[in-house]
Amino acid sequence: MKSHFELEDALFIGFCATLLVVLKSMLRLKLGLSGHSMFLMTFFYLLCYGAVGRVGCITACGLLAGIVAMMLSVGKGGPLILLKFGLPAVAMDLTLLMIAGVFKLRWQCVIVALIGCLAWASKGWVENMLAGMTHQIALTKFALNFLQGGVFAIGAALIVPTVLRRLQSHDLLQDHHKQYK
Amino acid sequence: MRVNPLRRLAVGKRRRFLGRLNKTHYCALALLLSLLLSTSAFLLPSSALWILVALNGGLVVHGLLLKKKISALLKIATVQLVTTMGLYYLFHGESQLLEGAVVVLRVLLAMLPGWWLSSTQPPERLGEVLSWGLPHQWAFVVAASLSLLPFMSRELKEIYQIQCMRGARITPKALRNPKNWPEFIYCVLLPLLIQLLKLSKQMAISAKLRHFGNAAKATHWPSTRDSE
Amino acid sequence: MNLIELKGIHFGYDTHQVAILDDLHLSVNHGECHCISGATGCGKSSLLHLIAGELSRPFEGEMIRHPALMVGLVMQDPNVQVLRQSVGAEIAFALENLGTPSVKMLEKVQQALRRVGLYISIDTPVDVLSLGQKYRLMLAAQLVFEPNLLLLDEPWTQLDNHGVQELYFVLKSLLSDGVAIVMVEHHPQAFGTLISHLWQLEQGKLVAGLYLPSVPREHKLNVTAAKATTSESCAEERVRISPHRFQFTGRETLFRCANTLSLAAGEIVALVGDNGSGKSSLLKALAGIQADIGQLPFSVLGKRPKLGIYGPNLSLLLQRPNRQLFEQTVLTEMQFSLRRFKLPLTRAEQMLAQLSLMGLAAASPHKLSYGQQHIIALASLACLTPKVLLLDDPFAGLDSVHCEKVWQLLLQLRQQGCAILLSSHREMSLDDVDRVWHIESGFLLDRSESMEQSYAG
Repeated sequence: MKSHFELEDALFIGFCATLLVVLKSMLRLKLGLSGHSMFLMTFFYLLCYGAVGRVGCITACGLLAGIVAMMLSVGKGGPLILLKFGLPAVAMDLTLLMIAGVFKLRWQCVIVALIGCLAWASKGWVENMLAGMTHQIALTKFALNFLQGGVFAIGAALIVPTVLRRLQSHDLLQDHHKQYK
Repeated sequence: MRVNPLRRLAVGKRRRFLGRLNKTHYCALALLLSLLLSTSAFLLPSSALWILVALNGGLVVHGLLLKKKISALLKIATVQLVTTMGLYYLFHGESQLLEGAVVVLRVLLAMLPGWWLSSTQPPERLGEVLSWGLPHQWAFVVAASLSLLPFMSRELKEIYQIQCMRGARITPKALRNPKNWPEFIYCVLLPLLIQLLKLSKQMAISAKLRHFGNAAKATHWPSTRDSE
Repeated sequence: MNLIELKGIHFGYDTHQVAILDDLHLSVNHGECHCISGATGCGKSSLLHLIAGELSRPFEGEMIRHPALMVGLVMQDPNVQVLRQSVGAEIAFALENLGTPSVKMLEKVQQALRRVGLYISIDTPVDVLSLGQKYRLMLAAQLVFEPNLLLLDEPWTQLDNHGVQELYFVLKSLLSDGVAIVMVEHHPQAFGTLISHLWQLEQGKLVAGLYLPSVPREHKLNVTAAKATTSESCAEERVRISPHRFQFTGRETLFRCANTLSLAAGEIVALVGDNGSGKSSLLKALAGIQADIGQLPFSVLGKRPKLGIYGPNLSLLLQRPNRQLFEQTVLTEMQFSLRRFKLPLTRAEQMLAQLSLMGLAAASPHKLSYGQQHIIALASLACLTPKVLLLDDPFAGLDSVHCEKVWQLLLQLRQQGCAILLSSHREMSLDDVDRVWHIESGFLLDRSESMEQSYAG
């Protein structure tokens, strides 16, 4: 993620990351549901990918979101939040490397979202295992998290193509990006 | 005896410089410490956990002395405790409840240093430390995004209010129904994203017109001044 | 050699669309001040970006730049160009990128600040500056790297009269230092004798002269007749502002209001004050959406203002109204509120037809020009026929053609009995509106009343 990005793309990624953190801090007070952060993460990560159109931008967005969240002390704060935002992002980018262009946009979004969610839930699982939780319980927690997060992630993944298509129809995405049909 | 004023100024400057250095370095150390404490919460054997509890206790006292709020963290800890203990009871019965409590304790000990770090260190300084490792362009992006934060929340609020007045089903009451969530996304988030897209273009132009990315080695505005 | 010379420039956004710039010629030299006028969306801003060398798409033709050419560009809205949080860091941004040693920065930054007449500390946060100050800050951020060609995009619309005057003196001294200026401006009168070359951009070419669209000024109110009817029928009071002190919690008083002000059905009242005097906050407080303002003795439609209690009866148009557009087409955008408030959808088409904008019905609202977006946003509120309409600076950034459309809409609503309060950072004529409220030197007052008294006396 050196300086391969155009400045305006890099700025947009930064704004998305910041907006993600702002919305997360606002929603945390309203909803007690765990897993809703998967909705916001999936939405903004996929949107970044759609708007900038390059593998690597999701990782960039995730890391920036982690840094911003750390600086604003959103969520639990501290260095662990970098992992929380970063891990799903890296997983999503890696998936995109492999499946880009194989599926239709909608299915691509759903698959990528699910993998991101898997990474997110796994992080909790590894943490719990390290903390000495029994296999059974760690696995149950993992499954619960994955289910909850998965619902939100799929919800976001289904909405992103529509949003991208709207941006495209308003001529707001650059020409070199593919058509969202 | 007269003290040479120039010399006094130089000494003062050096002292300020050192003070500054210490502050930023202190922040970096705090970051490392919290990282270390968080990791050891997972890795230390249970028998040595009391050391960590004592250390974290110190951090909590420090944070509370500075009048920082800990209620959010306590809430998360309670939720963790209830769900984990519930599961332990369901799966293993009463015998292993203590083990479950230790797990919750470890998770809590992993979160506490983060709370301490973010409540005792000013965000700008944290950002400064974090941007040491970032390439120039991304350091600029982080700084620009953060300075845009007030604008972003103001826009979010205003667009929300305008669309409410236009009759959009996005009042807090309407948003309890997930059916109305897409309306929020289309009415509020989409216009905001459109603005951010345009803004990123304009800010990029504004930066490039001021020769951003031209120099092989960019210099820095002496920000030491703001601590004076 | 000229500083810059453009020869036969062709430029268009889409290959299948008409070229925006078509065989354009321009040469600029030291100490010259060129002013370019033209209809909105005719490509004036593109021309500035082309000269600055920051156009995203390629163009045809020849551009000869002097080897020593250094361009500075101040875009229309200073808010979107701010990159840093403090005044000093903002100005130093260019120096950082040019690799100026840190020790030399302070002096250069302070020099640039003085040059634009800003006597503020370099540690001042950018947030607290007024729009006019921000504009001069952006100017300083360019001047710090000593450009010999300065490009300005419509300074008049953004600034209040006070700000324009300050800018005038800055530009004057720059010109006498040999800096060349190219500005895009509809109101070159404001800069009077500074301008050495006056152009209008017409069909992609620069022609000498000023762009003056022939707009019939039909909208003048017959004030006396209007006044007579209101006093006879004693029109229903829609908004009532009792004496109060307007201030944000924990801040200094913005202004005081000593007398009760009221707004009746079928009235247009202008609220005039400089940038930052509290006009927007007052309008938002009347709509019940201004935070940190405490309880104020306002009554709108007989109730204390609160978000969401008025339905279609109260409408508010904030600044930059294009940010409320989100639908796919202009028509669905106009129908959105009608649908939500369960009003007849046909009103949207009627409204478009009245404004002779039916041609835009199927277009994407985000592909329209700024002026068109403005009209569509206003029209989508107007077709609700609200009882009270609040408008925050509805004429900002509009050319006279679109201003006329706004007046047409407002007068029509007035006839239907809508009470309209609009804010403006420029003086409004009593020929255009029924009354004018002023916010000046810390007081909100209805000066038209006192003026009438002085006429009577």
